[in-house]
Amino acid sequence: MIRRRKADDHRSGMDYLENLPRKVVVVYLPLFIFVFVLLFPFYWMAICAFKTNEELHAYKGLAGMWVWEPTLDNIRRLFFETEYPAWMWNTMLVTVVSTFLSLFCAVCAAYAIERLRYKGSRYVGMAIFLAYLVPPSILFIPLAKMVYALDIFDTNLALILTYPTILIPFCTWLLMGYFRSIPYELEECALVDGATRLQILTKIVLPLAVPGLISAGIFAFTLSWNEFIYALTFISSAENKTVPVGIVTELISFDVYDWGGLMAGALFGSLPVAILYSFFVEHYVSSMTGAVKE
Amino acid sequence: MKIFTRRDILKSSAGAAAGVVAGPALLQAAQAWAADSPFTPEKDASIRLLRWKHFVKSEDEAFMALVDAFSKATGVAVRIDNEGFEDLRPKAAVAASIGKGPDIIWTIHADPHLYPDSLVEMNDVADYLGGKYGGWYPIAEFYSKRGDSWISIPYFFSGNFPNYRVSSMKAAGFDSFPGDTDGFLKLMAGLKKNGTPGGFALGNASGDGNCWTHWILWSHGGRMVDEDDNVVINSKETIEGLKYVNAMAQHFLPGCASWLDGHNNKAFLQGECHLTNNGISIYAAAQRENMTNISEDMDHAYWPVGPVGKPMEFHVQFPMMVYKHSPNPMAAKAFIAWMMEAPQFNQHLQGSVGYLSHPLRAYDDHPVWTEDPKRKAFRDTVDRTVPYSHSGSLGNAASSVFADFVVVNMVAEAALGTKTPEEAAADAQKRAERYYRS
Amino acid sequence: MAVLSASGREVQQVDWRKRLLHNRTFLGLLFMLPAAALLLTFLTFPLGYGVWISLTDEKVGRGGAFVGLENYGWLFEDSVFWLSVFNTFLYTVVASIIKFVLGLWLAMLLNHHLPFKAFLRAIVLMPFIVPTVLSALAFWWIYDSQDSVISWILIELGLMDETIDFLGDPWNARWSVIAANIWRGIPFVAITLLAGLQTISPSLYEAATIDGASEWQRFRHITLPLLTPIIAVVMTFSVLFTFTDFQLIWVMTRGGPINATHLMATLSYQRAIVGGSLGEGAAIATAMIPFLLAAILFSYFGLQRRKWQQGGRDD
Repeated sequence: MIRRRKADDHRSGMDYLENLPRKVVVVYLPLFIFVFVLLFPFYWMAICAFKTNEELHAYKGLAGMWVWEPTLDNIRRLFFETEYPAWMWNTMLVTVVSTFLSLFCAVCAAYAIERLRYKGSRYVGMAIFLAYLVPPSILFIPLAKMVYALDIFDTNLALILTYPTILIPFCTWLLMGYFRSIPYELEECALVDGATRLQILTKIVLPLAVPGLISAGIFAFTLSWNEFIYALTFISSAENKTVPVGIVTELISFDVYDWGGLMAGALFGSLPVAILYSFFVEHYVSSMTGAVKE
Repeated sequence: MKIFTRRDILKSSAGAAAGVVAGPALLQAAQAWAADSPFTPEKDASIRLLRWKHFVKSEDEAFMALVDAFSKATGVAVRIDNEGFEDLRPKAAVAASIGKGPDIIWTIHADPHLYPDSLVEMNDVADYLGGKYGGWYPIAEFYSKRGDSWISIPYFFSGNFPNYRVSSMKAAGFDSFPGDTDGFLKLMAGLKKNGTPGGFALGNASGDGNCWTHWILWSHGGRMVDEDDNVVINSKETIEGLKYVNAMAQHFLPGCASWLDGHNNKAFLQGECHLTNNGISIYAAAQRENMTNISEDMDHAYWPVGPVGKPMEFHVQFPMMVYKHSPNPMAAKAFIAWMMEAPQFNQHLQGSVGYLSHPLRAYDDHPVWTEDPKRKAFRDTVDRTVPYSHSGSLGNAASSVFADFVVVNMVAEAALGTKTPEEAAADAQKRAERYYRS
Repeated sequence: MAVLSASGREVQQVDWRKRLLHNRTFLGLLFMLPAAALLLTFLTFPLGYGVWISLTDEKVGRGGAFVGLENYGWLFEDSVFWLSVFNTFLYTVVASIIKFVLGLWLAMLLNHHLPFKAFLRAIVLMPFIVPTVLSALAFWWIYDSQDSVISWILIELGLMDETIDFLGDPWNARWSVIAANIWRGIPFVAITLLAGLQTISPSLYEAATIDGASEWQRFRHITLPLLTPIIAVVMTFSVLFTFTDFQLIWVMTRGGPINATHLMATLSYQRAIVGGSLGEGAAIATAMIPFLLAAILFSYFGLQRRKWQQGGRDD
């Protein structure tokens, strides 16, 4: 935090070099275009969520860029005529549990690789990194068979156990970078004082790595919130689905798309993560900074 | 045990409100049937049925009301899960290979032929229903039988026919929909000239795309394989068909190459597209949304007859199959038999407002086909269907070629002119041979 | 003998070291256990199993027999497979490069002193937050051949007379799905690079400015070199996500028109799941591994370089 504030102060100190018109052209204008393009599909989702079916079909041209007769019908339908609240709950549950599970595994693994430096830890570190090259599309057939064999098909557990395979490698990598930046001296002192490794991890290393944990946690949260293939394959009952899968499979009837409902679902399905980010985005950036610097 | 989800209950009560006979009358009938049915469910049986997600809401409402009545009358708890059209098939296959999952799957195409050994033989149900209701249409029998065994029960077919705007057709100089491919081409040209073009899906659209491209192929005498499963797609008949499609595609509205199943619904309802192929979902949506300018001005027609001189259409089958891993196969059989008995099947047919067509001849006279003349084409769906494996056998190769869009891609290549008809046919031959190699 | 002649102190020291080493390894394994258990069970095992399936002729619903490399042999002669390989490479290379360039630019813009900084950063992350299938549905509409918003605007502005056929023409379709992927991927690249930018000491820029370095020179000689390690990491993830992309294509085009947007991941799904040829689908998926491996190794050596660049705390 201190580091960043210094950078900011400095930057504002340098800013006198840039006069305002120049800054408008060089910074604000491109930034505006970026924000516009990045937000436009989102805007589109939002207005479609409030359009009547008739309006979705009837308005063309620029008139289609606005809602003329806003309705809450799509949202009502989404919340009361589908299992949407259940999807939301499932997604929350699966995401939160698998995120914490992954963080736990990643913390242990990163600590072991980076600080214990046991025999072969470098190879293990590389192996974990390599785990990223395994695309879910090759895994889900064999995984489906395993999920059935373990008798967890169509349960939240199936997702809670499989999502960490996507999350652990990234979290571990990020935390490894973070742990590396914590001075060894602290740990050595504690060892001399007779602390166990577990005490060192929980009392010394983890508190210093909180920003890294937040960063890894947010990333894991986002990935599992968005996950699609595993949820599509391992879940079958409507009330056990996650938000992305539930919306797509329950609101599209082959060639009939419930556009209003789909867009309303997309809007509300993104809200929890959006709120999370708006609280933590500063931490996210600063903790990433911690992880990427040496 | 979960018998119904909250949503299912909501739906079935909505179904009752929508005028489906439910409640006491249906329950009584169901009890009477259960009393002297040839299929007695196991004691304390419960079944899980996985079906494709409904196309038309009223169909789902009718279905759920019937399920509810069956459950109450027989004491068999029935649990229904829905799955998207595309996602159902992998689930069904996984259930077959690992021997766990739903008891009944209401599936698509001839998928039962992909894992026949995992399925319960249904001869008793098929004979019972066939004997009672005027016999099965031959295509229904072909799709469900393997040797002498019925491995599934043809439950419904879903028709896919030309949808057109009547006023635009008249403006293009036709009083009625052309019955032959030459007239059809002229109609397409006329529509385009008037600024009211038609269009057909050329993207990887598993429903609409396959339906119309197979019609192009077959109506010109082309076919994927001969009776002995030798690949014969690279023939002069196929090439004729591809030349035809190339001429026809000049009159398409732009963008058809990207169309998936939902695009033509949208374009038609928005008044951009004046002729396309689809099930009854466009019409049903126009009626539901009170888009009378569309619903009153549109109609459905048979596919025009091509050089082969007889109807060669493709419509999708939706059979029900019972898995051997089911602990309650008799309850599953009872369920299917009961659903296809006249009182129930009538309601289901009624609720599906033409989207689904019957495989048993006795239902030809059902009021669903007469009360609205615009549904008439869909009555003959099963009679006019050619199996997708034409002229070969059903099984993995036919299913894989179909799923890999070999015909759709071939027609699209010729239509868009990215390949000459000859090249496109030769390419399809090569692709198909890979699947039929052994 | 040598051992006997060694002093007792030395022996003790060796013993102590040995014990520590032993201890560390044991502890290390203990700490690795949770991650290893999950990854070995749900990743390594199914991966091996998947590769095995690719060597069989397994079809959906029935087991397969070992056929060696036959699936790969057939794929080698399959024009659609090679088209999907080409598409995958085009998709990955173009999307990754543009994502990097635009992401870096955006990161540098966000690194300025701006009002509502936190709010802006949160907004910029939006595309990353919305579940991909759902944003793909929004693009489905935005790219509609008849009433695309983009076409509307261009027509209203008088720049065009006809709507753009975004997904109907093979090349248009390729660029369109690439654009959607870029849209989705920029935030991750930008935010991570922004983190990297903030580690660069401003005094470097100050010194360079005093020495009369132009903006480009400052970028070229300060920003870029110092950012290289993080770029290597971000690009690896970006390449991996792009290479294995599935949802976007599956919702928007299903690989069409005429397979012009089929990626290896979507073709594998189409063949294995929809078409039922599990063996062949697994072979396509397995064929992705060498390319992914190359991307990972590239980045891994990028990381290695980071160590010696910094003078290294390498053991």
